[in-house]
Amino acid sequence: MSYNKPLPELDDVNRPFWEAAHQGRLCLQKCSDCDHVRYPVSHVCPNCLSYDSEWTEVSGKGEVYSYIVFHQKYNAAFEGDLPYNVALIQLDEGPRMISNVTGVANDAVKVGDRVQVTFDRVTDEISIPRFTPAEG
Amino acid sequence: MSDLRDKCAIVGVGKTKQGKMPGVSSLMLSVEAFKRAIDDAGLKKGDIDGLLTMPGTSSPEASLNYLRVGEALGIDPKFTGSMTMGGGTAGALVQMAVMAIEAGHATTVACVFGDAAKTGGSRFNRASGWGDSWGIWGMYGAAANSAIAASRHMALYGTTSRQLGEVAVACRRHASMNPDAVMRDPITIEDHQNSRWIVEPFHLLDCCLISDGGVCIIVTSKERAKDMAKPVVTISGMGQAYTTRNMEREDWWYVPHQKEALGRAFKMAGMAPKDIDVAQLYDNFTMSVLLWLEHAGFCGVGEAGSFVEGGRIQLGGELPVNTAGGNLSESYMEGWLHIVEGVRQMRGECDARQVKGAEVCLVTGRGMTLNCSNAMILRAA
Repeated sequence: MSYNKPLPELDDVNRPFWEAAHQGRLCLQKCSDCDHVRYPVSHVCPNCLSYDSEWTEVSGKGEVYSYIVFHQKYNAAFEGDLPYNVALIQLDEGPRMISNVTGVANDAVKVGDRVQVTFDRVTDEISIPRFTPAEG
Repeated sequence: MSDLRDKCAIVGVGKTKQGKMPGVSSLMLSVEAFKRAIDDAGLKKGDIDGLLTMPGTSSPEASLNYLRVGEALGIDPKFTGSMTMGGGTAGALVQMAVMAIEAGHATTVACVFGDAAKTGGSRFNRASGWGDSWGIWGMYGAAANSAIAASRHMALYGTTSRQLGEVAVACRRHASMNPDAVMRDPITIEDHQNSRWIVEPFHLLDCCLISDGGVCIIVTSKERAKDMAKPVVTISGMGQAYTTRNMEREDWWYVPHQKEALGRAFKMAGMAPKDIDVAQLYDNFTMSVLLWLEHAGFCGVGEAGSFVEGGRIQLGGELPVNTAGGNLSESYMEGWLHIVEGVRQMRGECDARQVKGAEVCLVTGRGMTLNCSNAMILRAA
């Protein structure tokens, strides 16, 4: 069955993020001028406005910064997943990401839990970064 | 900016019937609210030379709403425009009206909002996130953002769902005393706990309504206000603050800019939390009220959960909040009715729900995920 949930729309700015994810690496932009590691993906550094950045692989380790569980259907494509969680993940390298915690029951996740990135291959081109519980 | 203290006043407020009104458009609601507001102020259409509007979610003209409303009202304003900051719009427009009046660009400004959101099927369910949409991870709707805030607040400070329920119960009790409110049947904490989950940690009764309705607020100089029909309600303090950085800001979830907006309003008015007799605090979700209480300084960081217990924010309590029922129970006019209720409390027009002797009211607004915030301090006379 084809994947019917929203997918990223690739362009010149976000393509490296999603290509790396499809290869199992979490890569973020690091500003070439001020070293700020940023997310979400942007063509410009929100810290110093530099256009120059390099893609850098981060550890994919972090913690659950906040955590919610959807029971209401907002988008029909997710109806079969209800209830499902969405988490705000604090990466060890600084940025925060919206994602999901997988491989564990919704009620077993707590704010502050350590997590590790994992990549969910949903199409031939796209793997979505999600997080699983990790030790330390 | 402190020289804007006490320079302008709200002289007219108008609101339409609220709830569900099939066949009614956003434009019709805007026009009706305008007519009621000028009647309230004892003004004629020709006295209005400034028109500021907020498009409804169901307004097809969107940000050109000021043109559509202006044409329907037959007005050629000296000063006009539309702004779209969700629940942060009403306060921002009233404050813009004050600035325009004091700068000499207009004398009397009508701020207008109408939305057939209920009838139009607006679900407030879009996914946030520029660039890669958060919908990729299933994060949709307005509730999710405030739920993120509530979940972390609970984890850090031990805030409970029952404490959130205190806000819902207070708003509903107040709505039960407001003949114009949409949801008037009193509820208990148990009702709140037993209502279905929307986005944990939010139950249904943590969430505001979706409503049809219109609201208009008329601002003029304090000098002119003295000659108008109703008791003068002075704008003593105002402040705004925003964050656009979202996840780039570590404390984004806590909407820390709200504290700046409140601080500016208190400073302009030369007042402190102890001076506030009644507060209309923007309540898209119950959690938002807790954050306002902390940011305003009515209690310390992390203490709002226990602050709202024991009826403290109910009529008869130390700080009555959302005395008309708020977005949660009166009607979801995205904060416009919070200003109307603030004005009516200052006029002493609120009958059973009147806070006796109230002379100072705090009104706050917040909108667009967690981005936009503003505060005003209204004073009787």
